[in-house]
Formats: sequence, structure tokens, C-alpha cells
Amino acid sequence: MAGPELLLDSSIRLWVVLPIVFITFIVGVLRHYVTQLLHNEKKVDLQQVSDSQVLLRSRILRENGKYLPKQSFAMRKHYFNNPETGFFKKVKRKVIPKNPMTDTSMLTDMMKGNLTNVLPMILIGGWINWAFSGFVTTKVPFPLTLRFKPMLQRGIELLSLDASWVSSASWYFLNVFGLRSMYTLILGQDNAADQSRIMQDQMTGAAMAMPPDPNKAFKSEWEALEIVEHRWALENVEEELMCQDLNFRGLFS
Amino acid sequence: ILSIPELFLLYRFTNYMRDKLRKWREENYRNSEQIVDVGEELINEHASKLGDDIWIIYEQVMIAALDCSRDDLAWSCLQELKRQFPDSHRVKRLAGMRLEALERYEDANKLYDSILQDDPTNTAARKRKISILRAQGKSSEAIRELNEYLEQFVGDQEAWHELSELYINEHDYAKAAFCLEELMMTNPHNHLYCEQYAEVKYTQGGLENLELARKYFAQALKLNNRNMRALFGLYMSASHIAASPKVSAKVKKDNVKYAAWATSQISRAYQMAGRGKKENKCSVKAVEEMLESMQITMS
Repeated sequence: MAGPELLLDSSIRLWVVLPIVFITFIVGVLRHYVTQLLHNEKKVDLQQVSDSQVLLRSRILRENGKYLPKQSFAMRKHYFNNPETGFFKKVKRKVIPKNPMTDTSMLTDMMKGNLTNVLPMILIGGWINWAFSGFVTTKVPFPLTLRFKPMLQRGIELLSLDASWVSSASWYFLNVFGLRSMYTLILGQDNAADQSRIMQDQMTGAAMAMPPDPNKAFKSEWEALEIVEHRWALENVEEELMCQDLNFRGLFS
Repeated sequence: ILSIPELFLLYRFTNYMRDKLRKWREENYRNSEQIVDVGEELINEHASKLGDDIWIIYEQVMIAALDCSRDDLAWSCLQELKRQFPDSHRVKRLAGMRLEALERYEDANKLYDSILQDDPTNTAARKRKISILRAQGKSSEAIRELNEYLEQFVGDQEAWHELSELYINEHDYAKAAFCLEELMMTNPHNHLYCEQYAEVKYTQGGLENLELARKYFAQALKLNNRNMRALFGLYMSASHIAASPKVSAKVKKDNVKYAAWATSQISRAYQMAGRGKKENKCSVKAVEEMLESMQITMS
């Protein structure tokens, strides 16, 4: 199953593996500084911040409401969900749909993002593919199925070669994601070279910025809160507390 | 000129002090005199070794200097920061804080208003304005402003805590309880909020509130076994309920049991505290007498 162990020329290590690591790292650092130069202050809308905090509070009420007395929970739920005066029922925000094509600020942001992140990745990936093609670079330590072969072994047309042996292009991509912690070490937290974090941000839709339609968010939060029941976590707290002596370790030194 | 080992020790010392300052900054310590001592030395002697950290240290030392009435130090820190960050709102806020320390509240207010005109979402300036009201003793206005602030920024926990303190000072315990509930909701594992909430409920009085107080004292103990205040609170609330004439026999029995358990734990604590000390027997006896005198007569 594992196939014969290949012995690679050590100059591959010297002239391919290490340079790729180097290049990826340098490009990442450059990207960080370029992003900082092109970065402009995002104007935060007061209404948006306020709404996002309200939604957060409602979510916390759903999750941790069981630590509050029943009446307090009911009071807050009523504040949010009351059919006439409840916050989620009463408050409608005017929504101007932001078309990404026409809204200038979003357009420039998108363009800048593409320029600094995607473009270098494509360029360098392509160059590496062209410059370092036709040979196997390294072996990943875990076995892979044959389906990965066309993806990871571009330019190597060997039918019987184990899918664990990969080409330099895949080594490059491994580096792009792997060097993330190195960037944190050198550039400090919050650095712009951190690509996977950018992708994560796009997926979770950051807690500070509102999803484009607050009304929809309100409606879904209303539904979620409506079905929550209050099960008081402190119902039997005394019994639970008293089943054993208190642990005073560390109180008296 | 320092030799190599001396240089090495100096480097280690600077790093050690820098880490200490960072810890105090991140965990919101208010040991201002210590910060001024350490920070002043670091800034005056070892500024070059601090690199970019120096700016945040300037901020930290400046605030500590204001706390200790060291206006000279605060002024020099402010000048350095102003020179480096001429248009910064953050530095403006520090300038405002210095004016507050000098009790020039009108000027401070003007400064904060100018920040807010430029950036209406700046929470720091708004909170400083509320602190000014509090410093001037205008509690009702402070409460009103804080309520307005919280309507827009429901998630600001520092503000909720400040508001609960203001309400307690005004003896408006119901509203203070509401604020503490917000804090308990967002920090369910913080035993101190549970304990404060229980104390407010105990102060409000009445059977229902005493029961809630007892429950939340117990919760605080559950979260942190070593919270002695909560232990005493548990004892007091349970004894109060047991002594009340309006409770059923079962409730009375339960509460007597809780109070007895609390007593045993308190004695245990004092015995452990006095271990190996000559005064042990006396203090344990003193605790027992105290508990007996606190015991509300049960009819």
C-alpha cells in the first residue's frame, strides 16, 4: 500500500523547499505592510454598533437566561418579544441595499482586498508551478487517496506514484496557511498577512459589523427567543452545594 | 560603560518590569503608586530598550500619575504622546483626564465634546463625561446620562457595573439588581457578581428577596468555595428566613439545616486558619460566640 520509499535528491531540499518557504514568508510580510499603507479608517455607524450589541444581548439572554431569576428573565423576554411594544417587533430599520457593484466604498475595499491577497497568491503560485514543475518535492506524513493525485501532483504524470508525494505548488499552499503562526510571532496579532483569518471573517460576518439586513436579523432573533423556556439553574443549588465540605485550599497560606 | 553580565542583567530587568506593567495593564490593576515607581524609572532610564511599547507605557504611567497627583510626570508623558500622535482622540482623552484631575471640569467637558463632534461613536469620551458628573456629585444627572449611554451601548459591562454602584448609593436597590442581573447574564461564572446581587437582594428584604439572596449566595459559593462573604451571607439569609413567623414548617426546617451547615463550614474555616497558632482556641471560641449572637431567635 505504501509503495517503495523514494529517495529525493538533497538539492531539492536546498533549492526548492527552503526557497519556497522563504518566498512565502517574505511575500506575506510585504503584504502586511502594503495593506497597512492602503488601509483607510472604516467609519462605523452608530446605529449599526448599537443594533449589533442589542442582538448580542438577546443571544446571551437565550444562552444564559437560566442563571437569572424567572421574573427577570420574563421581564427581558417581554422587552424584546412583546407583540406590541417589543424591541424586535417595533423597531424597523431603513435598509438601503448596498449593491457591491455601485457602492463605491465597498467596491474599493473589495478591490484592495483582491489586489493584496488574491493577486500575489495567484502570481506566485503560477510562477512556482512553472519554475518548479516536473518533480516531486516532498511527502505529506499521512496517506492520501488517489483522488488527490491530479490536484497535488500537477506536472507529474506517474500513475503508480503514491498520492502522498506532492509537487512544489502544493508545498507552496501548505506554507501559505502554515506560516500564519510565524506571522503572529513576528508581526504581532491582527496582522494583515493572515489570510485564513480574512477568510474566516468573510464567513462568520464579524460581530461588530452588521449583516446588511438588520430587519432579518431581528426577525430571526425574535423567533429564537420566542421558543426559549426558562429552566432555572439555581433550582437545587443549596443541595448541590452542601453535598460536600467546602474546599478552602489556598485560602490560608 | 557596563560589562557584559551587567548589560545582560539590565536587559533582564527591563524585560521583567515591562512584563509586570503589561500584566497590570491587561488585568486592570489600580496599583498606581507602584506603576508610577516602575514606569518612571523605565521611561527615564531605559526608554531606548522599550521600542514601540513605550507609547502604551506612557499612557499607563500617565493615568497612574494622575491617580497619585503627580502632575509633573503626567504632563511630561502627555507631551511625549502629543508629539508622537498629534491628532489622536485617544491622546485627547488623556488630556481631558488631566484636566479632570486638576478639577477644571468645564475645560475637560469642552475637550470631550469636541471629540464627540468628530466621532459620535467614541465611547471613551462619553464615559469620561459621566465620570465628571459623578466627581461633581451630580448623581442623578450621572444616572440619567449613563442610562442614555447604555440604551445605545447595551453591551458595555463597565458601564452596567458603574450604574449599579450609582443606584446602590441612591438606595434604589431594585434598579441596582437589574444592572447586576445584566452582569450575571454576561458573566455567569463570575462569583463576585452573584455575591453582589445576593447582597442587594438581602438588603431589599422581604421573604421572596431573602430566598433569592440565599440562592445566589449559594451559587457564589458553588462558583468559588473560598468566598467567605458569601458563606456568611448564606448563613444570615437562611437564619432570617428560618426566624420569620410566616414560613411553613418545611421551609423553616430546610433553612435551619442550611444555616447549620454554613455554621459548620465557618467554624471549619476558622479552625484551618488558626492551625498551628497559639491564639487558635480563642479565635475559634470567638467565632462561635459571634455566630450565636448573630443567630436570630427562632420561635
